[in-house]
Amino acid sequence: MKENKTYFDKLHTWGSIWSVSALAVLFAIPLVFSIYHNAFPEFKVLLKALAAVIPIYWSTAIIEVLTYTPIMGAGGTYLSFVTGNITNLKLPCAMNAMERANVKGTSEEGEIISTIAIGASAITTTIVIAAGVLLFAPVLPHITAEDSVLRPAFEYVIPALFGALGASYFAKYWKISILPIAAGIIAYIFAPSIPVGTMIFVTIVVSLLGAFAMFKLKWVK
Amino acid sequence: MDFKTDALMYILAFAVIAFVIAQSLFFMIKAWRRGKEIGIEERKMKQTVISSILFTVAPAVSILATVLALASALGIVLPWIRLSVIGNLAYETVAAENALSVLGSSLSKEITDVRQFSTVAWTMTIGSCFPLVLLPIFCKKIHRAMGKAASKSKAAGALGDILAAAAFIGIIAAFISRSVAGVPSDGPSAGVMSVATLLSSMIFTIALDNLCRKKNLKKLEPFVLPIAMFGAMGIAVLLTQVLPAEIAAYTWR
Repeated sequence: MKENKTYFDKLHTWGSIWSVSALAVLFAIPLVFSIYHNAFPEFKVLLKALAAVIPIYWSTAIIEVLTYTPIMGAGGTYLSFVTGNITNLKLPCAMNAMERANVKGTSEEGEIISTIAIGASAITTTIVIAAGVLLFAPVLPHITAEDSVLRPAFEYVIPALFGALGASYFAKYWKISILPIAAGIIAYIFAPSIPVGTMIFVTIVVSLLGAFAMFKLKWVK
Repeated sequence: MDFKTDALMYILAFAVIAFVIAQSLFFMIKAWRRGKEIGIEERKMKQTVISSILFTVAPAVSILATVLALASALGIVLPWIRLSVIGNLAYETVAAENALSVLGSSLSKEITDVRQFSTVAWTMTIGSCFPLVLLPIFCKKIHRAMGKAASKSKAAGALGDILAAAAFIGIIAAFISRSVAGVPSDGPSAGVMSVATLLSSMIFTIALDNLCRKKNLKKLEPFVLPIAMFGAMGIAVLLTQVLPAEIAAYTWR
């Protein structure tokens, strides 16, 4: 147990160091660019642009950190927040890997499988984007263009991904699945453009309350 | 030479990529070693790597499509960098568009002013950096609280397991309900095609899962999700071709 504790403690130390380094790398980009071209933004203009962006982004960041951190494990969380594309890629990837390996997110096995899955996914994404930019940039617009035959495949990647991920879970836990899906659909009927990051918060809360009530009523074991 | 795609921008892009790959490898190696120590089979970890790679290809291509969509205004390199680190398909487009509208421009126009470009780069960076500030402060605390809750719920029986599954289901439910009734900012509204794709991928998954169970095909298991996902994407292409255009394009939102 003591050894177990040290691994998690180390993970958090490494994670903090990598996060701070990532911040440095992130800010180095506009900073180096601005110094090199001697073109810093006008403070007033930057402030105005940020005023439009920060309220949404920073509040989403708080919700995301609170929602995803418990699910993805420590290593997976530190990796995901640096490499990005969490909801549409890293999170479902980790969930699928844990489900297939038959491990729980809260266990140490879950922590390890989730970290390996997210790491593999992050490297793959980085390589696909780099290769795409360097090699296929001239061709790719034709593949994903408005009139391309393959366009629908990429337009509907999200329903394809979450349908596949959902099917295994719903088959296993159909009783607790009905309520959050119904809540999500009803909420979307009244407010169709709610950002999915906000909706996740709503459906998780409904799902947890529903599951808790069903457990207490002995509908699920 | 265009400042958006000059040597400096490419050097910055490669530095970011090297950083992201180094960090991923670092955590993977640590997890792998720890996995061996606590007795996770190597086969299981290898399968996780392979299925995660397969799983990632299709979403990665749609991220690439976003990079290309932003490239007409911002050049190819800045969107490439932004979507390789922290960036998110939907957010980056919104951040860039917001910054550009303050400057009286838009994503459909190419930026030619170096200071405008610098403003957009700073806006996208400051907008997206916040999780990296929060994590070193809160990640450990959240995990500690989770650990305590998990050990308590063990005592309370199976409740902890059910709540963990419920949290997963909550996330999936948000995306499923959006495909049925929502209007996403980064894709087509709910309609015939989104529901058909959703149902096909569910049917493929259930069929493949049953096949694995009945024929005891352990090796196929890690590939169920990628196969079902690609299958459903194939169905989306096929239906667009064979259905009458007005049915395929029908959306109810």
